Amino acid sequence: MMAIKLIRFSLATLALLQLGACAGGQIPGAELAQAALGSQSIAGINLGAAVGVAKGASDSVREIPVAEEVEIGRSVSAGLLGAAPLTNNPAQQEYVNSVGMWLALNSGRPDLPWHFGIIESPTVNAFATPGGNIFVTRGLVERCNSEAELAGVLAHEIAHVVQKHQLHDIQKNARKGVVLDLATLKAGGLTGDAARAVTRVGLEGFVRGLSRDDELEADRIGVVIAARSGYDPYGLVVVLQTLQASPQDSSTALFLKTHPSPSDRLAVLAVEMPPSFEKMAAPNPALKRYTPVFKPAIQ
Amino acid sequence: MKLQAILLVAASLFVGAALSSAEPAVTVKEVALRQSPAADAKAVATVATNTVVELVKREGAWVQLTSGADTGWAKLFDIKMGTATSAPAAKGGGMSGIADTLNLATGKRDASVTTGVRGLDEAMLKKAQPNEAQVATLIGYAATPDKAESFAKAGKLAPRTVDPIAAGAQPATGAKSK
Repeated sequence: MMAIKLIRFSLATLALLQLGACAGGQIPGAELAQAALGSQSIAGINLGAAVGVAKGASDSVREIPVAEEVEIGRSVSAGLLGAAPLTNNPAQQEYVNSVGMWLALNSGRPDLPWHFGIIESPTVNAFATPGGNIFVTRGLVERCNSEAELAGVLAHEIAHVVQKHQLHDIQKNARKGVVLDLATLKAGGLTGDAARAVTRVGLEGFVRGLSRDDELEADRIGVVIAARSGYDPYGLVVVLQTLQASPQDSSTALFLKTHPSPSDRLAVLAVEMPPSFEKMAAPNPALKRYTPVFKPAIQ
Repeated sequence: MKLQAILLVAASLFVGAALSSAEPAVTVKEVALRQSPAADAKAVATVATNTVVELVKREGAWVQLTSGADTGWAKLFDIKMGTATSAPAAKGGGMSGIADTLNLATGKRDASVTTGVRGLDEAMLKKAQPNEAQVATLIGYAATPDKAESFAKAGKLAPRTVDPIAAGAQPATGAKSK
């Protein structure tokens, strides 16, 4: 029952995404969407009313309620985890969740259902979905040499969620998928196609990447989140320097394609990070706890 | 190509075993090496832009560097990692690329230096099928706010008041932009 409910919910979400994205124009399928969904009440939302409201909003992208954002994030996360599952290392998984939740509590959206995961891939990358799901690859975690470096990476991803970068990207790109989906609906099948469409749009976003402005903003906000959480704010800088020296091969190809170069980001951070941050970078012996969990060979 | 890859891996293993923990880096500007990690500490030497140095250790915003006989502290942003000086050889070839690969193996444990790594590329993302069981596992690892606060306390991480950073001058020369 729960699964069906989720699928329906996503379908409704997609329909609304489309209406938001095409605001003001004549929308093929909009009446169909209303006809198909208009009188239903799903997940406590009166869809007829919601669609009507969305149609009326003519000049901006609809603001997605948090509950829907979380469902979108769940669908995208399911897809990402289908491509690369979580590593089987509970100690590390719990560690990144503790670091990540502490950072999130010091971010602009402390109340989201935050989840953090290390995914099984030797490549270097990190991903955020709407609603607070953050993923880092094993390859990137292996390049982090301290808790402050790991925190720098996680805080950058948290900043993307705080600013809703991925959510806005999905809203912007959902239209095409929705039209296809409504065609399916017309043919009579209310299936998991809507959820799959959200997953696809989200995964395409990971392949396409965000804008340089979004990435630089996430760097800027991320180092502040790390600093506010009590970490050395230069953790992200050290990771970017490590990546700066990494060879450009298949382990870094997608990361480099979807992000500004580490050198570009470092040059911007060098200008933006104020000297007052230097006082917040004192050594913290309590964080040696990182080594036995993530670098057991160095013990 | 294959032989080249094998030689690279073999060479990197050898170099990795032979060198200690110091990592090579290159100065990105003229740098005053200081006696201690503080802007008002006495300068003990000056290192020219684009000089290969050794990073001895890091401390917050500072790095301890060795250049020839001189050792001293510089700002983190004064260096970049690796040995690639700023007139790099043609992309994909030349000694500097090989040197970078070798250097990477010296400072860091790194399982993915070999060529032909496969994992989570564009094709895999595009054809992925949802895995709901993994979502449940993900949720199972979540930390409650209480747990995160205890974790922070144990790590001597106290919340601080920090002003937001304003978007600064953005040196975007040749950068990817969409």
